[in-house]
Amino acid sequence: MSAPDGIPGAADASYGEHRVVRTVLRAGLGVSSALLVAGLVVIAITGQGRAPAVPLLHIFAEHDSGVLLAALGVLVLALTPMVRVVALVVLWSRERDWKFVAVAVAVVLVLAAAVMLGGG
Amino acid sequence: MLLLSAVGLVAGLVGALVGIGGGVLIVPVLMLGFGFGVRVAVATSLISVIATSTAAGGVYVGSGLANMRLGMALEVTTTLGGITGGLVAVLVPERALEAGFAVLLIVTSVLMIAGRDSGKKSASAAAGATEGFEERGALAGAYFDAREGQLVHYRAERWAVGSAVALLAGAVSGMLGVGGGFLKVPAMNLGMRVPIRVAAATSNFMIGVTAVASLVVYFARGYVHPTLAAPVVLGVVAGSIAGTRLAERAHPTALRYVLGAVLVAVAVQMLLKAAGRMP
Repeated sequence: MSAPDGIPGAADASYGEHRVVRTVLRAGLGVSSALLVAGLVVIAITGQGRAPAVPLLHIFAEHDSGVLLAALGVLVLALTPMVRVVALVVLWSRERDWKFVAVAVAVVLVLAAAVMLGGG
Repeated sequence: MLLLSAVGLVAGLVGALVGIGGGVLIVPVLMLGFGFGVRVAVATSLISVIATSTAAGGVYVGSGLANMRLGMALEVTTTLGGITGGLVAVLVPERALEAGFAVLLIVTSVLMIAGRDSGKKSASAAAGATEGFEERGALAGAYFDAREGQLVHYRAERWAVGSAVALLAGAVSGMLGVGGGFLKVPAMNLGMRVPIRVAAATSNFMIGVTAVASLVVYFARGYVHPTLAAPVVLGVVAGSIAGTRLAERAHPTALRYVLGAVLVAVAVQMLLKAAGRMP
C-alpha cells in the first residue's frame, strides 16, 4: 500500500504502527476464538451441562476442561485491548512521541487500577 | 448452546444492518428470554462488545482510518468511566440497572427511527475511505476519500468536550453492557470536529478498551459465565461480519421501524420487571 500525498514521513510511520496494532488485534481475536470454540467442543462431547460463573482469580482452579478453555478464551479476549495499549506505548516510544507515550501509560495505569479495584 | 449462538448471530447481524451495537439486543434477550440476572447479561454483552470492537478495530486500524492517538487520548476518561460504571453496577440494586437499561432501549429506539439511514451510513463509513494516516504528536490526520477523489485532512479540537462525553459513554457502557458508540461518535464528530468516517472508525477502535475496564469488575466478582459467553460471542462476531457485508446492499428502513417498535415493547417489559411486576 502506498501512502497518499500529504505528509510522507507521518504517513509511513503511521502505516507501520497501524499494521502492528492490526496484527495484535487479529491475533488476539484468533486465539480467543479458537479457545472458545475448543471449550464448546469439549463441552458438547463430554455432555457437560454446567454454565458456572468463573471469577477471574479462580480461572486456573477450574477442573472442568471445557469450562476452563472457554474461560481462557474470555481472558485472552479481555487481554487483547490491553496488549494493544502496551504495544502502542512501545511503538510510540520508538518514534519518540513522548506526549502520546504518556497518554498511553495513563491508560495502562487506569486499566491496572480497574484490576485492583474490581476485586473489591 | 445453539440457541445462544443464534441469539448472538441475530444480534450481530441486526446490529450491523441498522447501525446499533449488539449489546442493546443481547442484554434483554438473556434476561427476559433466558432468565439470567442483569449483571450476568451485562457481563456477557461486554465480552461480545470487546469481540466486535477487536474485529472491527482491526479493519479500521489496518486501513488507517481509525486515529489511534485520538482514540487513546479519549480512552483515559472513557476507561475511568467504564470502571465507575462497572463498580456502580455491582453495587446498586438490580432493579435500578433494569430500569436504566429500559431507558436506554427507548433512547436507542428513538434515535434509530429518527436516524433513518444514518446508522447505515455510519456503519459503512469506512467503505468510501482508504489509506488514512495520523500525524505524530497531534490529534490530526488525513484519509483518502475514494468517493470524492481527494485527501481529506482533519485536526481534532476541544479535547475536553470529547473527554467529558467519553467519560459518560464509559460509565453507560460499564453499567449497561453497551459499547457507547452512540455517544462517542457524535462527541468526536460534532464536539471535536472530526470527520464522521474517522469518528466512527475510531469509536469502534476505542470501544474494546472501554468495555475491558468495566468487564474486569464483573469478571473479578464472578458475573462472567464463560460457557454462556462463548456461544453468544462467536455468534455475534459471525453475525456482525455477515451484517457488515450485507449493509451495503440492504435497505434496512423497514427493519429499523420494526426493531424500534420491538425495543420499545422490550423496554416496557424491563420497566415492569424493575417495578417488580414481572419475575
